Amino acid sequence: MKRYSIVVFLAAACTLSAASSLSVGKAELKSAGQLAFNPQGILFVGDAMGGAIYALDTDDSKASAGVAVDVKGANLKIAALLGTTPDQILINDIAVNPLSHKVYFSVSRGRGPDAVPVLLHLDTLGKFQEIALDKVKHSRVELPNVPSAEGRQGANKRMEAITDLAFVDGNVFVAGLSNEEFASTLRSIPYPFTTADKGTNVEIFHGAHGRFETNSPVRTFVSYKIAGKPHLLAAYTCTPLVKFPISELKTGQKVMGTTIAELGAGNRPMDMIVYTKGGTDYILMNNSSRGVMKISTANLEGYEGITKKTDITGVPYETLAEFKGVEQLDLYDSTRALMLIRGEAGSLDLKTISLP
Amino acid sequence: MKIFLLAIAVAVTLRASEIRMEKAGGGYFFRITDATGSEDFTVSVDLPEAPTMLGSVTREGRNLQFSPRFPLTPGMKYRAVWRPSSGKSQSAIFEVPKPIVAPSTLVTSIFPSSNQLPENQLKIYIHFSAPMAKGEAYRRIHLLNSNGEEVLLAFLELDEELWDREGKRITLLFDPGRIKRGVLPLAEVGGALTPGGKYRLVVDSGWLDATGLPLVKGSEKRFAVVAADRQSPDVALWKVAAPTAGKPLVIIFAEPMDEALLHRMILVRSENGTEILGEVKVDAEETRWSFQPNTAWTAGNYTIEVDAALEDLAGNKIGRLFDVDMLDKVDDTQRTPKIILPFAVR
Repeated sequence: MKRYSIVVFLAAACTLSAASSLSVGKAELKSAGQLAFNPQGILFVGDAMGGAIYALDTDDSKASAGVAVDVKGANLKIAALLGTTPDQILINDIAVNPLSHKVYFSVSRGRGPDAVPVLLHLDTLGKFQEIALDKVKHSRVELPNVPSAEGRQGANKRMEAITDLAFVDGNVFVAGLSNEEFASTLRSIPYPFTTADKGTNVEIFHGAHGRFETNSPVRTFVSYKIAGKPHLLAAYTCTPLVKFPISELKTGQKVMGTTIAELGAGNRPMDMIVYTKGGTDYILMNNSSRGVMKISTANLEGYEGITKKTDITGVPYETLAEFKGVEQLDLYDSTRALMLIRGEAGSLDLKTISLP
Repeated sequence: MKIFLLAIAVAVTLRASEIRMEKAGGGYFFRITDATGSEDFTVSVDLPEAPTMLGSVTREGRNLQFSPRFPLTPGMKYRAVWRPSSGKSQSAIFEVPKPIVAPSTLVTSIFPSSNQLPENQLKIYIHFSAPMAKGEAYRRIHLLNSNGEEVLLAFLELDEELWDREGKRITLLFDPGRIKRGVLPLAEVGGALTPGGKYRLVVDSGWLDATGLPLVKGSEKRFAVVAADRQSPDVALWKVAAPTAGKPLVIIFAEPMDEALLHRMILVRSENGTEILGEVKVDAEETRWSFQPNTAWTAGNYTIEVDAALEDLAGNKIGRLFDVDMLDKVDDTQRTPKIILPFAVR
């Protein structure tokens, strides 16, 4: 419930202005990576190659109850639709439209630098459909401080990967990771996009055991209210789970997050969702090598971080043995999650599961 | 009568539809001749239960043309089907020719170029001669110890893979969880690199380039690991050699620096602040930076502007360590974003 309280308020405030800020035309995405929806069904697409975020109105805002999804070999079907072999496509992200409950996919057709970005959705008959981008209501915002293709000395090799994208409280939050300097960049861009306000750019640090601090890159994050205050819970590429208040994210400010959990070695968090079950809130997180974790959100406000060098515990979590090979995770509806699961012989299977 | 019937039969045969795959403008399309009455002409990859491929159908008189949305994949089979409004549907299978091309892509360089790396080495850059395919980097790169055993999960594996725009350089990050002090992974599994150890970074020849061909050959970099570097680069130890006519400006560092950042984090400005354009060269195992201006030096005062985000091999920035021990009470307020080094051309 906490998760939606912000969202409902926004729905009222933004609907009109959001719709009018979009214009019909060709959305010239150079790549299609991370996806996120706002509560009005506007789809945000991270275009790392183009250094931009697109907002697309895919004309899919009619509320509809979700139906169980079970598609075996989603990657094989998408490859066939695009007329090629499964090794010539990459499914970069999936997202569920919170109104229609349709599942959206960002895909690269081809694997080289000239790969073609493709957006698809799964229709009610279980068929993949391309989202036409040549005449779509959209707007685009360039990410600030993103290097141009041409540097001072010829081709600029610096690029920034977009590792996560989320819509929180009227803002699109973008986590980025440079292929050169080691830094954490988290940007918050107000939506509707305007040219005047390209958003804030903050450096986030986190203390490990209250002693060493670094500004390593945020891998994935969710918004969550702790003691009534909106926070971001960010999972880092190097395992800590860190909380910090959204109100502290101001341009040029150094924000110090609090490490509330350490999620283990040799692991990389991939996606996180927040849900409520039986009146209690939980976080579900899929990981590269430590399975799917269910993390309790009880008493996060009371958690002051790991303060002693010997402390290697944190917020309690449980690893759910029933889920293996989960490569993508999103909230489907109030009772289900959507998973893209690596099955046998390289098949990627899409299915809804009851929230654990 | 017989002759008349035969004439009809010939006419029917001549009028029968034929499906062809044709090439035009660098791409393939499918055409069915003499297909009247129905526009139901689809193409799919020749696999069971394959959905109809994306594409568009256009009519040209009695013929129909299917233009695929994306270029066809060499070596792949496609099935084209035309369903007339009545009668039997017609289909044909085509294979797109796959030209025999020899592999030509190579690893051109691996940075850092030194064969001695600190225990807390942060990044490795691998450069290729041509664009590479995404999605398989972490199974094509192996870090082996002196016993030839693979160091597992040495690198941070990111779905996005950190390529440059051209797909010719990949950045590997050693898993920061195995470098950073005071975190669980380091306590649990230790660092990826051990001081005193000898390692080989191996690039598989099977890594595919953007055209789907493997590398001409694999590549490897051998290195020994020395003690961790927990010192920020000290600008006071740099040697700046002011240029003379026709010669480059040279900076010698006290330690190897990050190769990629050296190319864009050091600028030269004239006395009035204008940026001087020119060519940067980095060599001597990334301990030397030289700058040759596009137009000859003129006598006067200049400044070198160094971005404090410039990193050494361990990711220590100027004035800020990769991981700061807060018990050392580092005064972060003194940190400046730029370091200015003056020099003069006589």
